[in-house]
Amino acid sequence: MTRKNVSRIGAWRSAGVRAGMVAPAVLIYAALLVVPVGYAFYYSFTDYNGFPNRVPEFIGLDNYRTMFESHDITGTMVVTAIVAAVGAVAVNLAALGLALLLQKTNRFNTFGRVVMFYPHVLSALVVGFLWQAILGPQGVINTLLEKAGTSSLPFLSDPDGALWSMILVIVWSLFGVQLVLYLAGLQAVPQDLIEAARIDGAGRWGTFRAVTWPSLASTVTVAVITSCISLLKTYDVVVSLTGGGPAGSTKTLAYSILAVSFPQRKIGVASAQAVLLIVAAAIMAITVLVLRRRAENDAESIG
Amino acid sequence: MKSTHRGRRSRSAAVVTVVSMTLLAACSSGGNAGGGGDGEIRMMVNLTDNLNQAYWEKLVKPFEDKTGLKVKIEGPSGKSVAESFPQQLAAGTAPDVIQSIFPDDDTAPELLDLSGEKWAAGTPMFDDYAMGNAHYAVGVGEQAQSLVYYNKTAFKKAGISEPPAAWDEFTADLGKLKKAGYTAMQTAGQYQTGLQLQQLDHPTLNIAHPKWQTAVKDKKLSVGDAYEPMFRKYADWIKAGYVAKSDVGLDPSQADGNFIAGKVGFYPNGSWFTSTVDKAGNLPFEVGVFSPPTDSAGSHPGPQGATMADPYMVLKGAKHEDDAKELVRYLVTDATAIATQLEADGVFRQGSTAKHSAVGTQVQSILDDAPSLVAVGEGMGNTRLPVTGFNPKFTEVAQSLYTGATPEQAAKSIDQWVDENR
Repeated sequence: MTRKNVSRIGAWRSAGVRAGMVAPAVLIYAALLVVPVGYAFYYSFTDYNGFPNRVPEFIGLDNYRTMFESHDITGTMVVTAIVAAVGAVAVNLAALGLALLLQKTNRFNTFGRVVMFYPHVLSALVVGFLWQAILGPQGVINTLLEKAGTSSLPFLSDPDGALWSMILVIVWSLFGVQLVLYLAGLQAVPQDLIEAARIDGAGRWGTFRAVTWPSLASTVTVAVITSCISLLKTYDVVVSLTGGGPAGSTKTLAYSILAVSFPQRKIGVASAQAVLLIVAAAIMAITVLVLRRRAENDAESIG
Repeated sequence: MKSTHRGRRSRSAAVVTVVSMTLLAACSSGGNAGGGGDGEIRMMVNLTDNLNQAYWEKLVKPFEDKTGLKVKIEGPSGKSVAESFPQQLAAGTAPDVIQSIFPDDDTAPELLDLSGEKWAAGTPMFDDYAMGNAHYAVGVGEQAQSLVYYNKTAFKKAGISEPPAAWDEFTADLGKLKKAGYTAMQTAGQYQTGLQLQQLDHPTLNIAHPKWQTAVKDKKLSVGDAYEPMFRKYADWIKAGYVAKSDVGLDPSQADGNFIAGKVGFYPNGSWFTSTVDKAGNLPFEVGVFSPPTDSAGSHPGPQGATMADPYMVLKGAKHEDDAKELVRYLVTDATAIATQLEADGVFRQGSTAKHSAVGTQVQSILDDAPSLVAVGEGMGNTRLPVTGFNPKFTEVAQSLYTGATPEQAAKSIDQWVDENR
C-alpha cells in the first residue's frame, strides 16, 4: 500500500468520524425544527382539520386570502406589531439602563441582578395571574385607590389600558435575559478605551456615546432580535392576564393561532398564520442585521 | 484580509443564528388507537378539584369488580379533553372512552354510533345530541345553563318581594338593589361575559325564535337580529350603572367570590355554580335561584338552556370497543353510578329524586318545571350554527358593549363574523 493510499484512507476515515459526530445533531435538528416548519408551510396551502381520516386538500393561497380578509386576524397582526415594536424598545431600554447601573461588581449590584432576573424565571402564565391580581378591577392597586377615595383605573377593563398593561407585564417578564446580555456586553468593553476617553475629557454621556455604545453593537443586535422574536410569540401572558380581551383588544397572532384557529381545527389557516409569523421574524431579524452592517460600513468608511 | 474573513464568518454565523431563531419561532401543528395493557380500557376525563383521580377510580371500581376488566383513568394531556382528544386522534393515541365533550362534524366519523343500543335510548338528552340519525354521546343528566342566583337578604333590604318574571320587573329590581348599596348584577370578564349574556337570554330568545341556531343555518335569521334585544338591555344596564364597566376585566373566580361574600343582588350562572355555593358552607345570607325573566310574566318560566351532563363517547375501532361500550353502559345506567355522579358536581337530571342541598333543590325544581330544554351557544346535535368558535367570538362582541360599542354595532359585528366563517 502506497503512502498516498494510506493518507486517502485516513482522510476518508476522518471525514466519516466527523460526519458521524455531526449526523445525530443534524438529524435531531431536522426532525424537531425543519420537518415541522416544512409541514406548516405545506398545510398552509391546504384545507385540513388535522384528523387522520381526512386527507389535506390543496387549495392554493386561499388560507392566506382568508387570513388577510379576516378582520379578526388582521386585528391580531396590528396588536402583535405594536407589542413587538413597543415591547422591544422598552425591554432593551430598561435592560440597558439597568445594566449600566448594575455593571460594577459589588454585593448590592449582585443582589440587584438576581432580583431583576427573577421575573424571567417565573412561568409566563404565573406572571399573568400575578399581574391580574395587581392590576385587575379588584386588584391591589385599585383596592388601594378605592380606599384612598379616588376612582379606580381601567388597567384591564379598557381596550387601550389593557394593551399597555399587557406590554408592561411582558416587558417586566422578559427584560432579565436582555439585562444579562448587556451586562456580558459591558464586561467586554475595553477599559483602556474608556480611560483614554476620560483622559481626553469626555464626560459620562460622551464616553457612553463614543466608546460603550459602539462596543455594544453586536450585543444590541442579538438583544433586539431575541426580544423581538419573544414578543412576536406572545401567548401565555395573553391567556392568563387578559384572555385576549376586553373585546379582543389584546389578541396577538400567536394567541389567535393557538386559542382560536387550532381549536376550530382550521389547521390550514393556523399554519398560514404561523408562516406569516416566521416571515415577520425573518424580515425583522434581517432588517436589524442589515442596518447594523450598514452602520458598521459607514463607521469603517469614516475611519 | 484577515478582517474580511472574520467579517464573512461573523456574517455567516449571524445568518445561521437568524435562521435558527426564525425556525424556533415557528409554530408547528402536531389511525385510531385506544386500549392500554391487556383488558385495560382507557378513559379520558376532565380532572377537577371535585372530580379528581380518586373520584373516577371509585366510580368505576364496581364495574371493574363485576367484569374483571381494568379501567385506566387518564387526565387530558393538554388544557382540557376538548383540546387533547383531537390531538390524540391525530397522533393515533386516542383513548377508548372520552368523557365531558360532545361530537362534532370532525370527530363524529371517529366515534361509535350508539343508536342501536337499547340501554342508550332512555338516557338524558339522547336525541337532542343526535347528528343526522346517529347518536354518539350518552350522558347522566343535564346541566341547567339559564339560572339567576340571587341574595335573599339583599332582596329584603331593597324591598323586593319575589324574583322577577318579566324583563321590566328585572330592570326595576336592578335599580332597587343598586339603591340599597349592592352590586345590582355581577358580571365578569374572559369567557364569562358572553356566557352570562347568553344565559340570561336563552328563555326569551327561544320563545321568539325556537331552534334559532337552525334558523341561522337556514339563513332565515341572523345572529345579530336574534341577540340585538338583549344587547340593548345590557347596554342600558351598563349605562345606568347596574352592571359595572370594569367587570369586563374581572376574573370569573372573583365574581364568584363577590356573590359568596354577599355583595351582589343578581348573579347569572349555570347549575355548576351550585357546588361552589354549597362548598362555601354557611353564608351570611340565603341564596335563591330563578329562571331568567321573559318578555311577559305570562310566558315565565321560558325554555331552559341545557347541555348533557357527564357525556361519554366511545372510540370507533378501539382495541376494546365492546368493553368500552359496556363501561359506558354501566356509567349511564347503573343506579349507583348515576347517583354518585349526580351528587358529585352540581349535576342534575329531570325528574330525579336524588338528594340535593337547599340551593340544589331549587335548581332541580327549575329544571323539572322548564317547558323544554334548548340548545345553547353554538348548538347541539342537529340544532347547530353553521360556524365553529362561536362562544369566544360572542364573548368579544358582548365585551364590546362594556367598551363603548352600541347594540347595533355589536349585532353587526357578530353577523360579519358569522358571514366570514360560515
